[in-house]
Amino acid sequence: MLTTDLKLNSDHVNIVECHDVSLTRNTNEVLCEASCCIPRNSLTFIVGENGTGKSSLALTILGLLPGSDGLICLHSQSSREPVLGYVPQSIDFPKQFKLTVSEYLQYSAEVKSSEIEATLERVDFPLNHIASQITQLSGGQVQKLLLAAELYRKPDVLFLDEPLANVDDSSEKHIIDVILEIRNQGVTIAIITHDWNMVSNYADHVICLNKNFACTSTSACFCKNSLSKVNIKNIQKVTPDPEHMHDGFCYIENI
Amino acid sequence: MFSISFMQRAFIGCFLLSITYGLYGMFIIPRKIGFMADGISHASLLGIAVGLSIGINPLMPALILAAFLGFLLAYSADSHRVTSDGLIGIFLSGGMSGAIIIMAFMPGYKPDLFSYLFGNLLSIQNVDIYALIAFTVFSIIGFMLQWRALVISTIHLDLSKVINLPTTQSKYFLFIGMSIGLILGVKLLGVILISALLITPVMTANQIATSFKGTFITTQLIGVFASFVGIALSYSLDLPPGPTIALLLVAIFVLSLLQSKLSS
Repeated sequence: MLTTDLKLNSDHVNIVECHDVSLTRNTNEVLCEASCCIPRNSLTFIVGENGTGKSSLALTILGLLPGSDGLICLHSQSSREPVLGYVPQSIDFPKQFKLTVSEYLQYSAEVKSSEIEATLERVDFPLNHIASQITQLSGGQVQKLLLAAELYRKPDVLFLDEPLANVDDSSEKHIIDVILEIRNQGVTIAIITHDWNMVSNYADHVICLNKNFACTSTSACFCKNSLSKVNIKNIQKVTPDPEHMHDGFCYIENI
Repeated sequence: MFSISFMQRAFIGCFLLSITYGLYGMFIIPRKIGFMADGISHASLLGIAVGLSIGINPLMPALILAAFLGFLLAYSADSHRVTSDGLIGIFLSGGMSGAIIIMAFMPGYKPDLFSYLFGNLLSIQNVDIYALIAFTVFSIIGFMLQWRALVISTIHLDLSKVINLPTTQSKYFLFIGMSIGLILGVKLLGVILISALLITPVMTANQIATSFKGTFITTQLIGVFASFVGIALSYSLDLPPGPTIALLLVAIFVLSLLQSKLSS
């Protein structure tokens, strides 16, 4: 059974640690003894091909999936439990709700009416859409709204699942800039993605999930499967020992 | 009309039902389980038939059955093995079949049964109004406590859990509360068409309102208006109240749809 250990008033360099976390869903082994860390104040990417368990790892840390084994440590610098934030890959807002932008903020994050504008300005959301229904927004605007709501809750760690999935090309850079700014404000961010370009351009740390992963040296790791080969260069540290072929998970630091 | 005691009870009953059904309908429709209202109300016919056959208040076994079915639906809502709509279909067919079989063994003409199927203005007693008042108060308090959890869990279940909202509690409140509410309205509106008051006001409000708050207010107004006018028409034209109110709601919905199409 998966256990969660909460450490308060901790100055540990990592805010989240996973030790041998396993997860089985419908008799399928999704995660197998996954060990990785999310360093504090970092922009960490959880990457891998489709079906490798990226979202499942994040959802297990968030407590939304019941891991079958292992330990998750949460290190809080204060005397309270760390606040975990989550922006799903997509939300199918019910058309029948007719929720407006301001109403969503009030319900999801209990944002006061007087603070709505400031909350939206933090993610550069166009204020002329405050009274618009969410179903009328573009993908990028919805993503910013979801970010704004989660940020208001002052998360210690914010998980973003494929934040660019529903965003058009012209808005991608904008969203990335917002995410980087949030990281610079001291929020630890964990992004789940299969976009290796994003990883190579912005990552502080990478958790790579790939069932066909093979590390041949410390200078380059090959993620090898039947569909593609991806080089990750300038690796400073790889866990476990890169000299050995292995299946499973690799924690790559400082790309 | 307004000075007659049974009409006063009918108006009060309809007012209370409109308020509570408007609240439950706000969340049943976006969750795409409007069929649940039909399933529960039709299945409850089994409880009514049992009550009539053994000579007790038929609403008592119907209430127990409805609450149990509501609990089962809440329990299975997140299940991957059994879908909610499939389960509702099973409840509906099983309940109605059982009721018809029981009634087949009941000798003679069954006037009470017709009343429960389509409603009867004369059937509402003071005790029914007291029960509706208690249920309305329970529902309003419950919704005040669960509102945020219901809104967010309807939008995205995982998000509501991350925010630590009482998601499971709110789900059981919604399903079981709605099931009980449907039975409490059966005497006035009937088993067959009671779901119309739960579903149609929200659907109509969706055509008109431009915000969540607006949808809520419009739902309440439409429900109260349609039920009041329907009761009055039912009395004036000697029609069963359930179908009269249902038809009026459908007409209002069609008008709102036309208005929505024309304005867009």
